[in-house]
Amino acid sequence: MNTPEKGYGVVYRPKKKLSEKKRKTVFKRLCDIVGPENFSDKEIDKIIYSRDFWPIALRWMLERKVPALPDCVVWPENTKQISDILKLANEESIPVVPFGEASGVLGGMIPVKGGILVDLKRMNKILKINDKDLTVTAQPGLNLMELERLLNKEGYTMGHSPQSIYCSSLGGNLATRAAGQFSTKYGKIDDMLISLEAVLPQGEVIRSKTVPKSSTGPRIDKMMLGSEGTLGIITEATLKIWPYPEKKELLSYAFEGMESGLECIRKILRRGIFPAVIRLYDEKETAFRFYQTGKAKDKCLLVLVLQGDKELVELETKVSQDVCRKHEGIECGEGPVIHWFETRFNVKEASDFAPREIIFDTIEVSVTWDKSIELYNSMISAMENVNGVIVAFAHASHFYPQGVCFYFIFGGTPVKGAEPNEFYTSVWDAAMRSCLDAGGSISHHHGIGLMRARWLGEELGQSFEILKKIKKSLDPKNIMNPGKMGL
Amino acid sequence: MLDKIKKYSWLIDSLMEAKWSTKKEVVHNFLNAKKKYVPKEKTNAKVGDILKCALCPNMCRFDCPVARVGNSEALTPAAKSRIAYLMEMGEIDFSGEFVDLMYKCAGCDASREWCPFDFSVEDLLVGVREDIVDKGLAPKALLELKDKLEKNHQIYDQSLIPPDTEAEKARILYFMGCTARAKVPDVVNTNIKLLEKSGLDFATIPDEWCCGAPLSTLGFKDSFYKFAEHNSRLINKSKCRTLVCDCPECAYVFRELYPKIGFRLKAEILPMNQFLLRLVEENKIKPAGLQGEFVYHDPCALSRKLNVCSAPRELLKSIPGLELKETYFSHRETRCCGMGGMLGITNPEISSKIGESRISELKEVCSNIVTACPTCELAFKNANKDKKVKVYDISEVLLKSLEK
Ligand SMILES: Cc1cc2nc3c(=O)[nH]c(=O)nc-3n(C[C@H](O)[C@H](O)[C@H](O)COP(=O)(O)OP(=O)(O)OC[C@H]3O[C@@H](n4cnc5c(N)ncnc54)[C@H](O)[C@@H]3O)c2cc1C
Ligand code: SF4
Ligand code: SF4
Repeated sequence: MNTPEKGYGVVYRPKKKLSEKKRKTVFKRLCDIVGPENFSDKEIDKIIYSRDFWPIALRWMLERKVPALPDCVVWPENTKQISDILKLANEESIPVVPFGEASGVLGGMIPVKGGILVDLKRMNKILKINDKDLTVTAQPGLNLMELERLLNKEGYTMGHSPQSIYCSSLGGNLATRAAGQFSTKYGKIDDMLISLEAVLPQGEVIRSKTVPKSSTGPRIDKMMLGSEGTLGIITEATLKIWPYPEKKELLSYAFEGMESGLECIRKILRRGIFPAVIRLYDEKETAFRFYQTGKAKDKCLLVLVLQGDKELVELETKVSQDVCRKHEGIECGEGPVIHWFETRFNVKEASDFAPREIIFDTIEVSVTWDKSIELYNSMISAMENVNGVIVAFAHASHFYPQGVCFYFIFGGTPVKGAEPNEFYTSVWDAAMRSCLDAGGSISHHHGIGLMRARWLGEELGQSFEILKKIKKSLDPKNIMNPGKMGL
Repeated sequence: MLDKIKKYSWLIDSLMEAKWSTKKEVVHNFLNAKKKYVPKEKTNAKVGDILKCALCPNMCRFDCPVARVGNSEALTPAAKSRIAYLMEMGEIDFSGEFVDLMYKCAGCDASREWCPFDFSVEDLLVGVREDIVDKGLAPKALLELKDKLEKNHQIYDQSLIPPDTEAEKARILYFMGCTARAKVPDVVNTNIKLLEKSGLDFATIPDEWCCGAPLSTLGFKDSFYKFAEHNSRLINKSKCRTLVCDCPECAYVFRELYPKIGFRLKAEILPMNQFLLRLVEENKIKPAGLQGEFVYHDPCALSRKLNVCSAPRELLKSIPGLELKETYFSHRETRCCGMGGMLGITNPEISSKIGESRISELKEVCSNIVTACPTCELAFKNANKDKKVKVYDISEVLLKSLEK
């Protein structure tokens, strides 16, 4: 690591640097491919394309460091250009890192080995809305909120609304297998995908058919989901859409503890009812977010949003209310749900607390119902036991008839002598260890990036070896986002 | 206070449970750490806020017109703050592309609508620009512009409409503004005709200087001070009770920025469309009728900075026969014309792309565009390359309806 007296340091410096001669010829050829207006090797762009929203990378900013600098940035405008870029990168053995909108929270786009950063922003169009088939076809660089607003304007919704809807791209969401906050009804981005086009590491272009289902061997296109830029670049996708919901019902209930709240949700799903939003907050997070709701004091608050066709919503609401009452949920009305809608994008923790040396982060995992409460308890106590942790709380927010996603939040400060980085890693270690021991999956929707790479082998077992083999055969020179996901 | 305690009870409770060493560390850091991350010397820039913005995941990026047309990460609001932060902390020099980036903002406040901190990115950048000026590093073209303004008191070279000279007694003063006077003089003539028709005793201001918005925006705070002093002296010594502004940005500057540097106007400050609506409601002006569809474009300064969305609509609806149309992005969620924040001068290419993008959204709805800001009108007239749409100021539409 290099931290000069004046100026900024760089955390990851590639061992192999491009020679000046090679740099010149490669840059010239890149300019020929994308056009000079779509190429930059300016310092300003290198700095800006040096990090995502990984909390430790934010910390580095305070320590006068940037995580890593790409050699250059390109903004391709079409699939052919991307294919040519990858062929060139292969020929010259230069790393390539795809870039969406840098809202990733695990360092996925940090160009740890330098190379060509491929920003997809200039491929950001909606290509087609098909009313009859209820599909939208769009390019990967499209911002999700832009997409959703344009769909709403035409009378549809995609139902994909992660908290980062304002600041993430369609391609990034596909590449990380993201989940929106309305996922229990509409599904995660994986469930929404119908077909895609992608450029594989050596420049080959694959395109899957837009059909509702086929039985034509394993789905190669789906391999791109969650590949985080290590297996190629997604260049187009066709996804499911829905008519804009006619009716919305907002309900909230307070439960004595997480166990009774979870049990109630399980029973709702068992009845075949899928509220768009289900969120159950533990006692501490309820105190944090819903301190105004007197009835929820020292309890766990459940938020439900049911939406869609009017008649169906009415029926689903009635059944959900019955189940909640049966499980002794205390009715708290619409207020807390409205509050949730009003505050769900108030992302302030990093800005407010990082400069005060308090580190916050989130860890989301999934688990089946039978192990759910044990996993919740053991992960909370594992995090609380790390020296320096002040708070660890959680909510459950994506549900299935088979299980649940827990979303943990921890906050703390490195106690005397400890490096922020060390403290941060030790909380993650404790959380991941207890998740694996309790039989959960280490990530429900944020992905792996740099931070979780160490645990992916244990998570996947033999499948990880197969993943490595697939990677090797598709990308023998390991040019695609090297160093991520343990690849 | 009680609410604050309630709000942070989760943290206080957790701290109570924490180990003594952790507790000590947290409290110590909470109180002291921040100082490490802002410059020791005093700066014009609000570096603490800039840091917060630099640590934000760019929650407003999707609605920033500069980022939308530029399609480069550096143009997003949080990225500008990241660079501003590095400069203010001395980690990169105030130079070249870093300095240039500080002017790539349309000051449209679209970002503010979505910002959890209610930041105005323009405000954050103005502080940095003031530091750039103080260091003697302001771009040459901007210095020339400032000198010209100080000499002519107008932003444009010529000003076609001279102000009145006998305005001392009037209760209503009409502040024409440089853009309207020099670039869309028809609007001024129209407003004067409307005011005459109303029979009210009004006047324009002798020796009207630019409101100073360009100077304030570009970080020339000393010059801005002189302009504010001049205009407020003229207005305050007159008998004026109501100051009517054609340009909503002028109204905003009078209402919000002058008081910040100690100049409070005695008069009520009103954008022209709000004043005209009043005249219609008081039957001083009676729209006869106008057939046709008109789509209304909310100027950023009017809708977001002054929170005036309904007056122009009511004014248009008061015209019999006129059919008011809306774009999807309207009211406070309107989209910028591209000319705000001096972007037309500092970055004409980005500015005109924004104008073209907005005009195409308006065009989708209908071919008669009405706005209530001379700068927007100018932007749309420039962007209307194929001449497929007609662009009007709201006063022009009102006058047309009277003349029928
Ligand atoms: C405030 C906040 C809230 C969040 N909320 C949620 C949430 O509710 N649900 C959720 O799932 N996530 C959430 N996230 C995480 C993050 O938004 C997602 O991981 C998102 O999918 C990243 O998208 P992006 O466009 O920003 O991608 P980036 O961060 O730019 O990239 C992510 C990874 O994908 C790769 N990549 C990007 N584009 C492509 C492409 N076209 N082809 C191949 N690879 C590509 C990159 O190389 C990188 O490895 C949140 C993040 C923040 C900061
Ligand atoms: S004020 Fe307008 S142009 Fe400036 S950062 Fe905000 S949205 Fe972008
Ligand atoms: S202006 Fe507000 S929302 Fe936008 S990046 Fe800055 S802090 Fe975030």
